[in-house]
Amino acid sequence: MNDLLAVLWIARKDLLHETRSKATTVATLFFSAVTLVVLAFAIGQDEQLLRGAATGALWVAIAFAGVISAAQSYQADLEDGAFDHLLTTPVPRAAVYLGKLLANWLFMLVLSLLMLPVTFVLYGAGFPGAWPWLLATVALGTLGFALIAVFYAGLTANLRARESLLPVLMFPIVVPILLASVRASGALVGVGDLELAQGWLRLLVAFDLVYAVLCTAIYHFVVEE
Amino acid sequence: MMDASERLRRPAYLRIWGALLVPLFLAAAYLGLVWSPQDVNQGNLIRIMYAHVSVAWIGFVAVGFTALFGALFLWRGKRRDDVLAAASGEMALLYSSLTIIGGMTYSRPTLNTFWTWDAKLTLTALMVALLVGYFIVRALVDDPVRRGRVSAVVAIVVAASLPFNYLAAEWFRTLHPSRSIALDGSGVTMAPEMLFTLLFTTVVAGLIYAWFMVDRARLGHIEAQLEAERAKRELGAAPSAGGVVRV
Repeated sequence: MNDLLAVLWIARKDLLHETRSKATTVATLFFSAVTLVVLAFAIGQDEQLLRGAATGALWVAIAFAGVISAAQSYQADLEDGAFDHLLTTPVPRAAVYLGKLLANWLFMLVLSLLMLPVTFVLYGAGFPGAWPWLLATVALGTLGFALIAVFYAGLTANLRARESLLPVLMFPIVVPILLASVRASGALVGVGDLELAQGWLRLLVAFDLVYAVLCTAIYHFVVEE
Repeated sequence: MMDASERLRRPAYLRIWGALLVPLFLAAAYLGLVWSPQDVNQGNLIRIMYAHVSVAWIGFVAVGFTALFGALFLWRGKRRDDVLAAASGEMALLYSSLTIIGGMTYSRPTLNTFWTWDAKLTLTALMVALLVGYFIVRALVDDPVRRGRVSAVVAIVVAASLPFNYLAAEWFRTLHPSRSIALDGSGVTMAPEMLFTLLFTTVVAGLIYAWFMVDRARLGHIEAQLEAERAKRELGAAPSAGGVVRV
């Protein structure tokens, strides 16, 4: 019970820090918007092509933003040695992980929900009728990204070259998440194939479950002194 | 204390094992290149398969052992396990790189393209990227205990990702000829000579992997001792060097 409270307090701390400084919000919001615009330019003016690439571009933007937000969430803590203080508090390390995970997931969820309409406008894709399933895809996909990003950001936070190392380590791991999210939302937005989307969603659920257990179990090896 | 040359000497069992690998390798080459019959559809191209598939299988086994030794290190904290994990990881990187080269050699004449987004090939490419990440992390951490723990964690996450990567790549698109050997041994559609050749090359690939891993771990162990001795010497020298700026 107390550990659950600790998770919530750590998440609250991270979110509160973010709502007051707004540093990550501004950076990731504009970064993902710029990514969407740049990708649209790169694809060209063919409307058919643009519409087909919409969900892929959306998830690329979300993935890049997820890396930034996870790295920033440790960066703020590492300044002035606040993270060491956090680790000396009598809460399990797993609670630190889950708290940061919760904060990052909520942050990425809000960011994705803001990026959804931007993508639909820029890429001229129609809003799908099965939108609750699209929301489920966004929720499960961002959870998968956050699970790996928060875990590996903790691992790289103290290393040299962490900015380039984090994407190198995490992107090969999140390939299934990226594929499943793009395919599921593509199936919903394009042809409205609910059954196909649900197949990919099952993979997302399995990935999230396995890594939620695994990362929570071994996180304390990552952040020790 | 042993003197240096004695410490570096390869033990007798490794020398015998290594010497046995040469005729075994030649026998595997003979079986694959000469003895095995031609395939009905692929003709002589099937001979690439013996080298390619056996190396690929052992590559996955090597990743499994890297994660296993990593987990053992997390559990018991013995330096030996970390050394074995790193040695197995190096072999995994070598074998998966060879798998990509073999796969490209095989798919050029059979599928008329060097690269297909086939599930197994994609999975192997991701595995190479993951293993490179494993060694980048190892290179960046100086403290041996911390290095062992962090890299063990990476190895476990990497091993856990393989089934997901495989599933995703398989669903994404698959061009690969369907498997001829089911895991339960049923549904073997190969000629018995071919099956024997494949199993023989796999065993030889496994023995080569194990030999290099054990020998690499032996050298890794000497490296670890050297590292520890250097650290001890620096620690011992520091107080007596008081006031002197170290360069």
